Amino acid sequence: MAWYGLEAEKYDRIYKDKDLLNRILKYFSPYRRKMGIVTLLLTLTAFTYASIPLLTSIAISNLETNREPIYLVFIIISIFSLNCLAWIFNYFRQKYSSMVIGDIVLDLRQSANVAVLDRDLSFFDKNPIGKIVSRMNTDSRDFGQIVELTMQVLSSLLMIIVLLVFMLFINITLALIFMISIPIFFIIAFTYRKIARRMTLLGQRALASVNAYVKESFSGIQIAKTFRQELKLYEKFKEVNKQSYDVNLKKGFVLVSIFPTLAATQGIILALIVYFGGNFVINGQLSVGDLYLFLQSLSMLFFPLLVIAAFWPQLQLGLAASERIFALIDKSPAVVQHDDKKPELKGKIEFKNLIFHYDEGKEVFNDFSLIIHPGESIAIVGHTGAGKSSLAKLLARFYEFQGGNILIDGISIRDFDLKAYRKQIGIISQTPFLWATTLLNNVKYGCDSATEEEVMDALDKAGGADWIKDLSYGLSTYVGERGSLISMGQRQLIVFARTLLQNPSILILDEATASVDPFTETRIQDALDKTIKGRTSIIIAHRLWTVRHVDRIIVLDHGKIVEEGNHDDLMARGGKYAGLYNTYFRHQSLEYIEKIKKICEEPEV
Amino acid sequence: MKKNSKSFNSSPLVEFSPETKDRFIKARQKGTRQWILAHLFYKSNKYYIFTVFLLTILTVNLTSASMIVLGMAISEFLDGNNSNLMFYVIVILILGVSGPVLRLVNSALREILAQRLERDVRKEFFANLLGKSQSFHDQQKIGEIMARTTDDVRMLNFMVSPALSLILESFTAMIIPIIYVAIFFPAQLLIVPIIFVITFLYALKDYIHKIGPVTGIMRAEFGQMNAVLNETLTGIEVVKGNTQEDAELKKYFGKAKRYRDAFVKQGYIQAKYLPLLLFAITITFGLAHSIYLYTQGVMSIGQIIAYLGLIGLLRFPTFISIFVFAIVRMAITSSQRLLNFMNEETDIDENPEGVEKLLDGAIKFENVSFSYDKGSSVLKNISFEIKPGQTVAIVGTTGSGKTTLTKLISRLYDVNEGKILIDNIDVREYALESLRSQISYIEQDVFLFSTTIFENIAFGRVSSMEEIEEAAKQAQANQFISELPNGYNSEVGERGVQLSGGERQRVAIARAFLTDPRILILDDSTSAIDSATEDKIQRAIHNILKNRTTLIITHRLSQIRWADLIIVLRSGEIVAQGTHEDLLKTSDEYQKIFIKKFDISVDQLLKEGEKV
Repeated sequence: MAWYGLEAEKYDRIYKDKDLLNRILKYFSPYRRKMGIVTLLLTLTAFTYASIPLLTSIAISNLETNREPIYLVFIIISIFSLNCLAWIFNYFRQKYSSMVIGDIVLDLRQSANVAVLDRDLSFFDKNPIGKIVSRMNTDSRDFGQIVELTMQVLSSLLMIIVLLVFMLFINITLALIFMISIPIFFIIAFTYRKIARRMTLLGQRALASVNAYVKESFSGIQIAKTFRQELKLYEKFKEVNKQSYDVNLKKGFVLVSIFPTLAATQGIILALIVYFGGNFVINGQLSVGDLYLFLQSLSMLFFPLLVIAAFWPQLQLGLAASERIFALIDKSPAVVQHDDKKPELKGKIEFKNLIFHYDEGKEVFNDFSLIIHPGESIAIVGHTGAGKSSLAKLLARFYEFQGGNILIDGISIRDFDLKAYRKQIGIISQTPFLWATTLLNNVKYGCDSATEEEVMDALDKAGGADWIKDLSYGLSTYVGERGSLISMGQRQLIVFARTLLQNPSILILDEATASVDPFTETRIQDALDKTIKGRTSIIIAHRLWTVRHVDRIIVLDHGKIVEEGNHDDLMARGGKYAGLYNTYFRHQSLEYIEKIKKICEEPEV
Repeated sequence: MKKNSKSFNSSPLVEFSPETKDRFIKARQKGTRQWILAHLFYKSNKYYIFTVFLLTILTVNLTSASMIVLGMAISEFLDGNNSNLMFYVIVILILGVSGPVLRLVNSALREILAQRLERDVRKEFFANLLGKSQSFHDQQKIGEIMARTTDDVRMLNFMVSPALSLILESFTAMIIPIIYVAIFFPAQLLIVPIIFVITFLYALKDYIHKIGPVTGIMRAEFGQMNAVLNETLTGIEVVKGNTQEDAELKKYFGKAKRYRDAFVKQGYIQAKYLPLLLFAITITFGLAHSIYLYTQGVMSIGQIIAYLGLIGLLRFPTFISIFVFAIVRMAITSSQRLLNFMNEETDIDENPEGVEKLLDGAIKFENVSFSYDKGSSVLKNISFEIKPGQTVAIVGTTGSGKTTLTKLISRLYDVNEGKILIDNIDVREYALESLRSQISYIEQDVFLFSTTIFENIAFGRVSSMEEIEEAAKQAQANQFISELPNGYNSEVGERGVQLSGGERQRVAIARAFLTDPRILILDDSTSAIDSATEDKIQRAIHNILKNRTTLIITHRLSQIRWADLIIVLRSGEIVAQGTHEDLLKTSDEYQKIFIKKFDISVDQLLKEGEKV
């Protein structure tokens, strides 16, 4: 798939060939000595392999002229030794180069990883994770393959050149026939590649539609079974499968025809060489040994030429792959710290005439100001797009803002040591993220030294730890990828426990909207209660319970504060907040629950 | 008696003839090789194989013959005889071109064979999957099924073309030149090539033995490396929030280092590929031997060149073997994965001669216990009773057994102990078809097929536009559907992604209105973001509950509050059951939900209830 439709992405830079080559060489430079050895071995291999048909042809020529047998024995021993040497040279060449390539790819991956982890979140918003992963892992692997391939191609090229030089000395006509054949091979191979590429793409698309149909069929298998509609699915499947068969068969025909076509070309050239060579031999202008050299070269060159022709486009792709990795490494993060202050935080937060946008021209905040006192709990409410999450993310220093300032305990957020700062900030995002490891490790994340008792204690505070006992392996239960093996509510409890264990001065919480069973919900309310107590808390609230329990509600609308106060006061005022309540919170009230039956029985308005 | 009609597999749907099907099923049980063979020799495939075989032998013969002709030509040139030059050139041209032409035909045939194999195996596999029970599908990840139906099946294609055909060609290219040597040259010239073949096979076996595991390790390490990086980046907010960048770097580096080590090891093994050396030595010895015979006056120079040409044909198997066997190995692994799926049996007996009746909808659980695959029990000693038309709310934490409980009713699974009665008849006594057709299930994450809304609502029963609209109205879906650009003919996109969760749920409810099941199971765990949507969902559910027995798995207090019966599950056991008022009085856990959420006392709560 890596071959098609790779569109240029945001962080692509176009390097000049020279710069790109320099960058690549820079990665080779720590392995200079080994690369020197590889190059030497590569050259030696090429020369040795080229000398073997030469020596053979000399031996045959000698037969014609009836030279001393001892001379023949010497040549044969030389051929034998050279064959063994060539293998040994190649053995060491491959060994060294795989070592060098392995190390370089590792270096590339590491520097790419360092660079990626250093990015702020705006980078991850713009670049899907799948693409970053494939750049770091697949592109670097492809790069490694290209290096190996380049070496093989260079070795073949060198061998061809050496042989050609000899041929030119022996007989110009035959050498010219030979040289004409090279571009013909290339033209055929390139033309085929073009067609083959298009056909392969079509084939992959056809298979992809089979794949999509299989996905759909078995995602809906329960419905199909309930309604007894398997036949319907099978009939459609047959069509899709047939289509894939037709397209892929055509693709197959194209792909398998390249080799015979090249072989037929080789056959024609062989006949030409026999015709001209035969005439020369008969006229005494050429020895049979030399004719043998031409025949032998023709069969020896077939494979290397095929390799070069087939892999030329891949070489370009490899360069593109390396360019993509370098682009990934080179981009600089937008969030930059100006100082490395590491004070203990009390938790006073001040937004001062803040200006912020993700994309130019779409202001999220324009002159936004707000003061939050140490220990105060704040609920932020508002419609989607009001700027609620942006506020939280700026506070976590995930994004850079464009104007104004954010002061924590009177110090600009840009002047902290980022790690020391974040250690004192607890962040709970809307979708709880868990690592594919045990429950214990998940609570301990970021706090490695915590003991099992401390973990249990944190869980106990976060809504009670008794549910852990119901799990088959207690704290050692494996939670699955992203925590998929435990329920959404339990994931939230774990994240609360994680935060409590770190005991941050400031809590930023984006309340989950996913529904949770009422029992777990009760626990989450407990956990929230304990977590916000005594620390500055900023909650993006979605639950009625939360807005009723915080010190102050901030109503945001298009990046501006339109109302603030507590729940009862704001309700009494009957303004924006009351409207929001009616839109988002009304159905969570006891009143609604008690009245719903009656509402449903009334005719619709 | 009860006929075990195992559904789809044995149904006439699949166009394989009964004998073939029997053969496939038997071959599946015998193992990978038998099964692959059964497919290779299925129908006209065997003629293709036969032709490919013949053509391969013919092609190699032509190449070998051209070597002999070349030798003869050179001998004549040496004699200074030019009268036959044109003749030789033409013969060489014909041989040199007809060989590739035959190869072209050959390749086309093997390609047809390969693609047919892929097509037919995929059909067999897909049909087999459709025939599996729901319990089987519940345990499968879609990704796994997809990987098998596309990639693993495709490996069988690659196994035929190029792998098996190249192996065939390799063997032919090793045997036929040697036969030519035997015919056209002194017998002692056989020694070198025969020794080569023997040592080559040994060296190759050793190579395959070594490279296989390393390649496997490399692939696994690459997967690990991907997984680790993917996880880190997915959780990047958590990494940064907890300042764990360094730990994550170390984690990735560890994996990347392991991959590097496997890569280097593979490089070492590849570098040591011995057959290349063997081939080079063979050519040298062949040269020495033939020159020796020349000096003895037994051979001509032309014959030396012909002999070297024939031995040169051994180059092809030497090179090609580096990778073809790896493909065969992968194909066998893939087949194994396919067979593991197909050989798994479904254990629900369809009982086609069982009871068929219109259900009233009375449900009774009597001491039901259940576990999946003999694991720890998911449900323990469950007993309760539902009268026809009642609404039951099932509440509990995830993993308490709520979903499993509902799946036992329509026999997606069978109980291990106790029994479930519908209208006082054990569910196992019913004809499965009749039972299931009267029980509808609306899942938590509603699945829609990627077709129009109309088709989706009409999925269970062919219906007119008026009926569809009426159902949609009842399900509170009419409004949003008519606001879509193409109304009922709007495409919903893959899995219904164009619609929100709440909208998909209401389409599913509309579907249920049309089929009008006697028993409805509604897994209603989605939440509405806003109150207006909540109003709609409430009305839709209210409407669908009427006149049928309904079990709702729900988080909605409003549904729980008004259910005729609430069943509270915890770790597979019923810890409380009764109405809202009952539970407020008897269950501390239940009380706490309301007290905590609304800051209210139980007495006040009970009073609220009376007010309504």
